[in-house]
Amino acid sequence: MLPEQIAKALITESFHSRRLVVAIFVIVNAVALTVGWLWPKGYTASTSILVDERTIIQPLMAGAAVATDALDRSKNAREVIFGRKIMDIVLEYGGWLKDRPSVGERELLIEDIKKRTAISTVGKNILRIEYRDADPERAFRVTGKLAELFMQESIAAKAAESGAAFAFIEKQTQEYQDKLTRTEQELKELRSSTLDVRAGEGEVTTRLNDLYKRIDATMQELREAEIKGASLERQVSGEAESTAAISREGQYRARITDLQSKLDTLRLSYRDTHPDIVQVKQQIQDLTDGINAQRLRREQTKGTGRPEPDEAVVNNPIYQQLRREHSQTQGTIEALQARITELQRQLQNEVGRGKRMHSSDARLAELTRDYQINRDIYQDLLRRRENARVSMNMDSDRQGLTFKIQEPVSLPQAPVGPRFLHFVLGGILLGILIPIGLLYARLQFDPRIRVGSAIVVPHKLPITTIVPHLWSPRELRGLRWELVLLSLIVVATVAASTAASAIRFIEVL
Amino acid sequence: MSKIEKALNRARDGRGNLQVVPVATAGGAPSPGTAIVADSGAHPETIPRMAKNEVRLLSAADLAQRGIIQPQHSEDSAVQVFRDLRTKIIQQSHGKNAVILVTSVSKRCGSSFIAQNLGAAFAFDMGKTALLIDCNLRSPSVHKLLANASAPGLTDYFENPGLDIEEIIRPVGIARYRVITAGRRREVLEEHFTSEKMKHLMDTLRRRYQERFIIMDGPPMSNIADIRILSDLADCVLVVARYARSTNTQIANCLDAISEKKRLGIIFNEEPRFPRIR
Repeated sequence: MLPEQIAKALITESFHSRRLVVAIFVIVNAVALTVGWLWPKGYTASTSILVDERTIIQPLMAGAAVATDALDRSKNAREVIFGRKIMDIVLEYGGWLKDRPSVGERELLIEDIKKRTAISTVGKNILRIEYRDADPERAFRVTGKLAELFMQESIAAKAAESGAAFAFIEKQTQEYQDKLTRTEQELKELRSSTLDVRAGEGEVTTRLNDLYKRIDATMQELREAEIKGASLERQVSGEAESTAAISREGQYRARITDLQSKLDTLRLSYRDTHPDIVQVKQQIQDLTDGINAQRLRREQTKGTGRPEPDEAVVNNPIYQQLRREHSQTQGTIEALQARITELQRQLQNEVGRGKRMHSSDARLAELTRDYQINRDIYQDLLRRRENARVSMNMDSDRQGLTFKIQEPVSLPQAPVGPRFLHFVLGGILLGILIPIGLLYARLQFDPRIRVGSAIVVPHKLPITTIVPHLWSPRELRGLRWELVLLSLIVVATVAASTAASAIRFIEVL
Repeated sequence: MSKIEKALNRARDGRGNLQVVPVATAGGAPSPGTAIVADSGAHPETIPRMAKNEVRLLSAADLAQRGIIQPQHSEDSAVQVFRDLRTKIIQQSHGKNAVILVTSVSKRCGSSFIAQNLGAAFAFDMGKTALLIDCNLRSPSVHKLLANASAPGLTDYFENPGLDIEEIIRPVGIARYRVITAGRRREVLEEHFTSEKMKHLMDTLRRRYQERFIIMDGPPMSNIADIRILSDLADCVLVVARYARSTNTQIANCLDAISEKKRLGIIFNEEPRFPRIR
């Protein structure tokens, strides 16, 4: 639609929906009047604080003292000012506690004060505090108090922060000093207790190798001595047997042979009962018993393995030679065995020592590492403690953070924000614009036809006519009255707005 | 003499097609002192006779009350629109009389208002007559123009074989303007329009007076069957849409139901306009 068509359609539609238009006009005006009447008058007082952290000391102590970070200063200021401590003081100072509000009411009052307080930063170091109140005097006083409390609280908080930081670093330094002392003591004890294992690893290895070699050599000697001893023992046993067999049984058998010859000769002359014969027989029998005894003895010797040489054997020089060598070999064997035992004991000792040496090395490395770390941290903490001490002293002497009132608070003279007249005029304007907007929206989005030119049909028709409403006399009379009434309503609404404005103006005066 | 009567007298002197009559009573009997200009003889109707034969002409107040345009209000935009519409229809009919069906895209679009005032507009012309037939049997309205609303009408003509056409054509109180009401009996609706008697009626009415324009006040498009039947009987169809009620879709659907040859036009009715306060 063309603009003039839209305008014409809006006029037509306004006339068609005249009651609705007037109703919206009245409602919008009533709402605007009510809101304007209830809208709190606001007087805003403001002050600017210059926050200066760049004092002459800071460059001197650069790198040594740490100043408070200036970033997001308004956020920090908001945290400080809206804190419970300052808010309670402001409640008392602003006279809100005269009516003895309950805890819940105090909370609401505090929330209200927070809503009416604006904190912002202007530039880098200027903090602006604005407070709005219905009472200009109270706005003035509360703003000044907020600035004062903020400065006090910030300085105190800064000092407390520095003190807390120093105390913390001091405590940490003490802890690390204790740790360092303990580590030193442990190192000392470890070194004292491991003096015997202080030798190097190569020396232990050499010793062990030497011991292993000596043990092997001794074992070899022992095996040789044992073989020799066994051989000698076998030789000693064989010499005794042969000597005994030759000496005693042979003698017995030669004697028996002699006696048997003698017996045979005597039998030729005498009977068996002859005393000579009996004697000879007796002798033979004794010799036979002697042989048997020798046999039995030899058998027994074989069973025990220990030859019991008789004197003849013992007196044999070879036997004696063998026996002497055998004894010497036995002695050698025992000496070698004792040496091996000793060497093995020494080997065990060396192995144990090697193990202890490794263990003490690991512990020593651990203690040394702890010691170095603790020493580094301790030295760093010592430096930090001194920095913190300087920072604390700066804050205690108020050299770290200074506040200066850049723009002092002044008593607000005129209220800020929308005034009642604005609401009245806005209500009248909106009372006209809102219905027009709604009608326009209806015109745009309602598919029902409201403009003759909006009739769009796919067929070509010879006639398209717009017939206006034909007013009957009764309708005209009704329309007359209706228009008078609607006009009166509009006039009354505007008059009410004007009257309210006048009343408000007189009140202000 | 009232102010209205004086005004009507002035209009009569100037135009000569209206007569000063008092307000008709409900029973149709003239009130005392009424200047009756009726000559209800059995003579065939001619334009001069029709002008003279009005039983009683409606006063300006009656016409205004009934929502009928008046020629003396020529400055009234509604009068101008209807006159213009009449002229266009005459042009479209090429000088012949025509049967015009007036229907609406939905209920309460004002098709009866359009039909009645279109008839009045034809009656303005002294060389034309108008006959309005109330074909909206479910919701008739033409009888409201008459003082005697119970007079026989279209359904009575269908039901009563002895009833002559002349007996159902009623003068409405406007010169050269006659009406046929829907009648008293309203049963068996659609069947009447498809009957031979209806065709005979329409043929008779059409042939009898060459200068007569017949306007059928039809039902809305919701009675699609009636509209199809009636549009067959009519020469052309006017579709009425109403301000803030009808949509383009409804209008398009309505036109689709009508034969292309008979689509005469669309009338966008009831556009709100600030009246001239007289």
